[in-house]
Amino acid sequence: MIGSVFLETYKQTWKQMVYWGVGLAAMALLVVLMVPLFDMQDVKDLLETFPPIILAMVGIGKELEIFATNEGFVAMGFFGKSALIFAVYPVVMGMRITANEEDAGTMDVLLSLPVQRARVIVEKFLAYSVSIVGVVVLIYLGMQMGVLIAGIDLDVARLAEVTFYLIPLMVFIMAVTMLIAVIVRRRSVALGIVTAFVIASYMLQTIGAVAEGTAAEPIGSISFLTYYNAGDILAQGFIWPHIAGFVVVSAVLLLASLYQYERRDIAV
Amino acid sequence: MASATVIEISGLSKTYGSGSRQTAALRNLNLSVQQGEIFGYLGPNGAGKTTTIRMLLDLIRPSNGSASIFGMDIRDHSVEIHRRVGFLPGELSLWEGRTGQQIIHYVASVRGDTKGITKQADEFAKRLQLDTSKRVRDLSSGNKRKLGLVLAMMHSPDLLILDEPTNGLDPLVQQTFHEMMDEFRDKGKTVFLSSHILSEVQAICDRAGILRDGDLKAVESIEKLMNVEFHWVDVQFRDAVPEGLARQLQGSSEISDVDINGSRVKMRLTGDFDPLLRMLSDGYVKDLRVEEPTLEDIFLAYYSDGREAR
Repeated sequence: MIGSVFLETYKQTWKQMVYWGVGLAAMALLVVLMVPLFDMQDVKDLLETFPPIILAMVGIGKELEIFATNEGFVAMGFFGKSALIFAVYPVVMGMRITANEEDAGTMDVLLSLPVQRARVIVEKFLAYSVSIVGVVVLIYLGMQMGVLIAGIDLDVARLAEVTFYLIPLMVFIMAVTMLIAVIVRRRSVALGIVTAFVIASYMLQTIGAVAEGTAAEPIGSISFLTYYNAGDILAQGFIWPHIAGFVVVSAVLLLASLYQYERRDIAV
Repeated sequence: MASATVIEISGLSKTYGSGSRQTAALRNLNLSVQQGEIFGYLGPNGAGKTTTIRMLLDLIRPSNGSASIFGMDIRDHSVEIHRRVGFLPGELSLWEGRTGQQIIHYVASVRGDTKGITKQADEFAKRLQLDTSKRVRDLSSGNKRKLGLVLAMMHSPDLLILDEPTNGLDPLVQQTFHEMMDEFRDKGKTVFLSSHILSEVQAICDRAGILRDGDLKAVESIEKLMNVEFHWVDVQFRDAVPEGLARQLQGSSEISDVDINGSRVKMRLTGDFDPLLRMLSDGYVKDLRVEEPTLEDIFLAYYSDGREAR
């Protein structure tokens, strides 16, 4: 029956989704509650004293005015380089699509049923994508709760854009993880490669940001993290070409995974 | 009426690795299994039994050769084939955090008939005395195996593919399993069963294939395999073993594996009994027992280099 793998995957995942979502929402809540404790002009003055490389490493560009607002403070405190934290959940979910089931041996049971390999991957991918949406919604609710408790003036719509921008980013990371796991088969090897990929992306983005205006600046564009910049989103709202880029690349990665998985032996 | 061929395997091979590290898990397997028979696929661990089964289920792809089930190619029609097949893996892994009931419901929903299948699953579970309300992680290995059997049989498949099905089952449940297999065969359905437990194959199978190091050594009916021309003879003398008997026995081309222990002599006799009875006539025979060879003896005979069971 169409949707049965999706449904079961979701049933097996919803608790983790809630745990992750509540944890990240608590972090967001904390950052919002800290807003009244700071004078944003002081924050801006403080930031100006830091060398650009340090600011680049925590995801702050040269437009410091943005970060001297309440929204900017939250974006810096929560969304800045914590993009690396947001990478963990999709990596865990991406590993579950094939690698964990093959490692555990349950994939043999599943694929002995009347179901195509492609259907298993697509339904699991969709189920985990829905769980990513769930995590992001919980983060947003945490932030909203903080606004209500602290009674601060915050552009909620702008923060919503920064928050929901996480969805294409996290789905992309999950798609990368899935493809690597499909290619290398072994869970431990796949995990090592994905971790290296995320760390290398972080380093490339930082180098690109620090080297702004030099010949080395384009290096940053290789990193996927360059296309999730809280400051840019606060200034411009949704950057649709970047979102479309994440969606298209994720779709290509999904298709590549389907192709490769159809061709290879199921590991035990 | 001639029975239909359910499994047809032609020149199936599987190699792993490449170059000097290439190893053959299965070589040029040719085999057919007919409808309504229970076929035993015998061999020690690493012989290639699981490799064959995983290829039949399209979990791994052959390096060479082809196979069909119900007349359909195993690769091109895997979904249609799987609809009519029940499978129990040798090393069964299930979703640890889910209960038996939840897994039954999941598998039934993928098969597209939740209501009918789960009803049948409940009946099998009751018969195997399995509590499906427990989480998989809380089940003993024997109970996990029972759940695997329920999952394999609950949709009334036309073909059961079972890899070491009774591993971890207690003797009473093994007996129930044997009865279930008999009933399954009586309905005209087919079982392909891999095992290294010879007594099990002997008890429930119609035919058996013997696999060794990726090569199929023999395929025979159980009846014919049992009908080999040798017996185990156990002679108990009242007094000491007659002088010169050991030399006579060892000099006979039809007697082998002679074991003398006090006044008792055990041997393997190929051919007629008369020459042996004449040799024994010098002593007072208190007791004489003749045992049919077990499938294990035949199995070992096939496996001993340069000496195959006749």
